Amino acid sequence: MERIPRGAPHGPRPSRRTVLRYGGAAVPALAATGLLTGCGTEPATHAGNVLRVSQTGDPKTMDPQKQGDMTSMNVLVNVFDTLTVRGRDNKLGPGLALTWKAVSPKVWRFTLRPGVRFHNGEACDAKAVKFSLDRLLDPATKSPIVELRYVDGVTVVDAHTVDVHTSVHDPILPDKVSLFGGVVVPPRYLAKVGDDGFANHPVGTGPFTFAHWQRDHELRLRAFPHHWRGRPGPDELVFTPAPNASSALAALQSGEVDLVSGLTPDAAQQLDGYPGVHLDHHTGIRTSYLSLDTLTDGPLRDRRVRQALNHAVDVPLLIKAVLGGKAQEVPAMIPRGAFGFDDSLAPYTRSVGRAKDLLAEAGHPHGFHTTLTASNVDANVAEALSGLLARAGVHARVNLLDPGTYAQRLTSDNHGALGPLYLAASTVWTLDGESMLQSNVRSDRRQSRWHDKRADALVDSEELSVEPATRRRAFSRLQELVKTEAPFVSLYQIDNIYARNNRPRWTPGAAGVLDMASAEVTR
Amino acid sequence: MSATLAPTPAPATVKRPGRSGHILRTLALRIGTALLVLLCTATVAFFLVRLSGDPVKVLLPPDATTQQEHVLRHSLGLDRPLLTQYLDYLWGLPRLDFGDSLFYNQPVRTVLADRIPATLLLAAGALVVTLVVALPAGTIAAMRRGRATDRSVMTGVLLGQSTPPFWVGILLVLVFAVGLHALPASGYGSFAHLVLPSVTLAVYSVAVVARLLRSSLVDVLASDHIRTARARGLGPVRTVLTHGLRNASLPVVTVVGLEVGSLLGGAILTEQVFSWPGVGRLTVEAISNRDFPLVQATILLFAATFVVVNLLVDLSYSLLDPRVRTRA
Repeated sequence: MERIPRGAPHGPRPSRRTVLRYGGAAVPALAATGLLTGCGTEPATHAGNVLRVSQTGDPKTMDPQKQGDMTSMNVLVNVFDTLTVRGRDNKLGPGLALTWKAVSPKVWRFTLRPGVRFHNGEACDAKAVKFSLDRLLDPATKSPIVELRYVDGVTVVDAHTVDVHTSVHDPILPDKVSLFGGVVVPPRYLAKVGDDGFANHPVGTGPFTFAHWQRDHELRLRAFPHHWRGRPGPDELVFTPAPNASSALAALQSGEVDLVSGLTPDAAQQLDGYPGVHLDHHTGIRTSYLSLDTLTDGPLRDRRVRQALNHAVDVPLLIKAVLGGKAQEVPAMIPRGAFGFDDSLAPYTRSVGRAKDLLAEAGHPHGFHTTLTASNVDANVAEALSGLLARAGVHARVNLLDPGTYAQRLTSDNHGALGPLYLAASTVWTLDGESMLQSNVRSDRRQSRWHDKRADALVDSEELSVEPATRRRAFSRLQELVKTEAPFVSLYQIDNIYARNNRPRWTPGAAGVLDMASAEVTR
Repeated sequence: MSATLAPTPAPATVKRPGRSGHILRTLALRIGTALLVLLCTATVAFFLVRLSGDPVKVLLPPDATTQQEHVLRHSLGLDRPLLTQYLDYLWGLPRLDFGDSLFYNQPVRTVLADRIPATLLLAAGALVVTLVVALPAGTIAAMRRGRATDRSVMTGVLLGQSTPPFWVGILLVLVFAVGLHALPASGYGSFAHLVLPSVTLAVYSVAVVARLLRSSLVDVLASDHIRTARARGLGPVRTVLTHGLRNASLPVVTVVGLEVGSLLGGAILTEQVFSWPGVGRLTVEAISNRDFPLVQATILLFAATFVVVNLLVDLSYSLLDPRVRTRA
């Protein structure tokens, strides 16, 4: 028997067809719209000098004052200029400001480059600089940029001169306006389009103008021929995110990308040896160290134990084994290339025997057990450190946290939140020792786990002195003190590693910022 | 999914409310339930996401001062009482106002709108792959049930169902992108970019759909009217195509509908592997950035998709199966 009752003539059959037909039609329709909106362009042909650069992530926003991360800044530095510029030789040079000087301990005066215009023709003058700094410091902007914390306000002296007023003397303010804090934005344009409009279509004075951004896919910039430094090398600059090394390699080999930046040593090793792939590495300034809790009761209160850890951690071996040789040993927290680095200070001699002797002297002949906390992005280094410590009898259990939790505990008011030993790193992009030591040395700072009156006085001296020579002396003494008292195990400054094909020629500065105007691209 | 399939042909003499009135009532009830589900989801999401920690700590660099943290927390409105924040959030929902993303500093709506097309495209691609592979596979297996063909098709399908999608994705990249240079390893923008992620995402769904189609077709093929059709001299293939598939399609439509939801969920992993600029990857980033408003909105979006798809599946029942329609 037929169990399916035949309904009306328009019964099951046509309606089922209708359903299936609609279902069928929906799919190509979706695909078509997706392909159209997804700018169904083929991977760019190299017509003109297009330079395609990949980073591990996408910028957070194109509003330069609403981001504080290197990934975003690497893109923004091509669209916006800063007051000062860190040159290839790591010296501070003129940007939108031609000269600067401290006219009094709490006032820095910047004289601006005349005749600079934004991409939309608006004049970039003293008013624009004042507007930019005011906007950055206005809580309503919700800016995550923190280094201008001492700036109280800006006054316009004349069309090409501004005074920046600070609450205390800030010797490295000119360094601080060479990147995040020094960006100048167009006041009239911002007033016209509002914050959202500005983020969607940013206008700066930089060597490239904004063209198009499909989030998480590609961001296109075009050369700005009227830039005060002249026309940039590439006609077009494209940034794409490549979150992992394998996708970066595939993109490099298929010609979808010319330059891959932000590679970890692991990832670089994966790319090594492929035809047409060149690896470049340059000394960087991201500096890693172990912070030791000298305040809580335990073995680390004893200076000899802390020195023992420094002897036990064989940094050159660590660099060779885990980082593929792509890092440099840092003797006492301040990296090579930063102001205040004292090259007369030798790193610790690495010796397991010496470490064991010191531990025995301190009453730990059989070593002790402890915990080493790290963010899970540093898992390899943390495991290797644990292994090196174990050779001297210090058994450190590795505790890996997700980056968010790690950050939360790092900056919590509980100095023991990350346990007795934790692995930390800091990118000293101001290239001044102050940035490395500002939050983890002086007793009243949040990440300080070492209370020493001598160190506090030296920090004050390097942070508040006007004279560079005085500051340099303070830094040298600080490094000696850090070495003797050993509140840290200083580790290394990691290289900036790039992989590229045969087309681009480009040399980064120590901070590894992707300012691509100076790049040369062969067609 | 409360539609039972018991045939209850109503005697035509009984006066019943008009069919359209009945459908409207059912529809209103369904939509009401759906909204309640979404409200519960929104609430759970709101409170759960706040257990993950303090977003200000992630937004500011480690050398920020306590003062700077306070200022930012205040300007983000995160220092207000939890209840105030919750009511604010609920108040915005009907107007599709999910607040501002903490990380992107832009309205959540804008951030989401940027990513939705890519995910829809991926889900559509995966759906096409699913249907193109699963319908023939299920049909052939049912027609050849118990034989070697059936066993090998079903084994392949089962393998697909039990392999984690990200692993399938990595394997496909190794073979087709790194090894053969046939397709791009990652990215977005052309048809070639769509192939590998679509296949990866479809692998699991293919298994679900093919197995269900096979079992329901096996049931149908054993029934009287198929035997009648065969006795009338119809060939086996034509019988299946004209009589078998029609009757076996009902549960399959249901499950395909449900799979659309899973496809969106599966997109989270697949988009990570292929750096596909969709909602899935955005969700992962938002969670690690502790971007409360954005996480809440993506959870709601996934929930809403499931709810809407379920609703559509229910409605398509009445189009496909007249018995459901006549059941008052």
